[in-house]
Amino acid sequence: MLILLAVALNAWPWLNAAGPSPRLLLPARVPPSDAPAKFEEDVINPDSPHAMSHVASIAELFGGGFAATWYAGSREGGSDVAIYFSTRMPGDERWSPARAIVTRASATRDLRRYIKKVGNPLIFSDPKGRLWLIYVTVSIGGWSGSSLNVTISEDEGQTWTRSRRLTLSPFLNLSELVKNAPAALSDGGWAVPIYHELVGTFPEVLWLNDRDGDIVATKSRVSAGWYGYQPAMMPLDPERALAVLRDDDAGKAVSIARSGNAGRTWSPPETVNLPNPDSGLDAIRLMDGRLLLAFNDSSSGRENLRLAISADEGRTWMRIATVAEEPGADFSYPFLLQTSNGDVHLVYTWTRAAIRHVVFNMAWLNGWRH
Amino acid sequence: MSHEITSQLLSAIGPWLALVWCLQRLATWLRPQLRGWTQLTIMGAMAAIVLLVPIQGLAISRWVAGLNANFSVPLTGMIAVAIWERAFAHSVFSDREWRASLKFGAIGGLVLYPLALGLGSLDPYEWGWRSSPLFIAMGPLTAWLIWKQNRFAILLLLAVAAFQLRLLESTNYWDYLLDPIYWIVSCVALVRLFSVDVRRRLPQEAL
Repeated sequence: MLILLAVALNAWPWLNAAGPSPRLLLPARVPPSDAPAKFEEDVINPDSPHAMSHVASIAELFGGGFAATWYAGSREGGSDVAIYFSTRMPGDERWSPARAIVTRASATRDLRRYIKKVGNPLIFSDPKGRLWLIYVTVSIGGWSGSSLNVTISEDEGQTWTRSRRLTLSPFLNLSELVKNAPAALSDGGWAVPIYHELVGTFPEVLWLNDRDGDIVATKSRVSAGWYGYQPAMMPLDPERALAVLRDDDAGKAVSIARSGNAGRTWSPPETVNLPNPDSGLDAIRLMDGRLLLAFNDSSSGRENLRLAISADEGRTWMRIATVAEEPGADFSYPFLLQTSNGDVHLVYTWTRAAIRHVVFNMAWLNGWRH
Repeated sequence: MSHEITSQLLSAIGPWLALVWCLQRLATWLRPQLRGWTQLTIMGAMAAIVLLVPIQGLAISRWVAGLNANFSVPLTGMIAVAIWERAFAHSVFSDREWRASLKFGAIGGLVLYPLALGLGSLDPYEWGWRSSPLFIAMGPLTAWLIWKQNRFAILLLLAVAAFQLRLLESTNYWDYLLDPIYWIVSCVALVRLFSVDVRRRLPQEAL
């Protein structure tokens, strides 16, 4: 009897296997427009009282407008660091005053465990009009001791559900971090690019799904063990995807891994003709099929932030524009989003003091074509 | 009761039993005559009170959960067995069953942790979320241990039942079977047992 029970309970996942694996969804194409070139810049948190602001992300709101998150405080990893939130609704000239939505104290309360510091937030919107926030918390050690947590807002960021901690690592659930935007899946879920940096440093995919309020999270590896992290994931079609990786190695170059089965397995990463000074980058697939990358064009520092474009699915890249450049300065952690009207938004850390927002359209982008 | 409340209550059981075990050892040393249910009741109450003490607004049990969200089911069961054996001076696990428990923790951890942390291209932790070699291995292993009348099998059976009922915070089968504390305790205990065995054999061989 007990033998049968042991076999049956362990066989249950086989008998109860999930249906076909989800496919990647691509955003709808916007018809080409004859609008003039547009390039605008502003600062999301111009009146920030904090010495440090870092790691921004931006999402399009269901009814138009945008929401942005980042973390700010006296210093990176400081106990006063909080995750801030701001919106810019259609017609608004400025971003709303920044509001802390996750603090060390609120995360401790929500997660019912000691939280030493909070870190990287990622915001994105779903087809139901909800905003998702995935963010990093650390209970012990430095960033390699991170865990991921998720909270959802159904009222465009006014209120948030109680945060839930995701268990993604067997060793005390340590060392899972997030930076870049997820890819939508055909089953309503998300493939979120995440990374691990305790012992080994490697990129992963977090498979996230909300099944009637029950958030289901699993993960799989992008590349084995040792090379590249902080991935940006782009679907090329429902089955093929590409992950652009930050370099933590002596190679000092951007590298790319490819998937032919909707992100479940990946090729070994290969470097491309762009440098990377071990700094965050982001890339998106534009609605016209080209790939757009925002990166520090240097193998030694973050003094510039450039855009590069690829028309051959990431095999070759062409530098097209410099968004920021100043000797000795630090422009870092870019985050890209193409919105439903075809505009491209870029948010990034400006000298660690503020979060800068850039918006341009395809006409501006195409004007750089040589 | 919601899953969250259930998992938080269960997350307190491991630290509570571990503290009872520590207090029991202390009590056995200080007051050897204290045994049985009296000992269990006193130690259990003391451990519960300690774990409920708030520090910076958070009970000590939640501080422990911040480090290790859940003790695995086998480790929890092994501590419970150890407490029971000491309280009633009655053996629940034979030497063979204790060794099976420790070997499972040591070998399982050796397979899981280095690979999951990146020492290799394979990530066995992924197996805990889907039909995988982990389930293929655990079914026959548990059945074989039951067939051999090894009581450690009961703990493995409870682990898979807890996983199917999703009683812990994690949804990964590995977290029901193993945890880092179990792994470390198993490795240390096996090394100690091995060294005792070696020392026991040495004089005989010398003769």
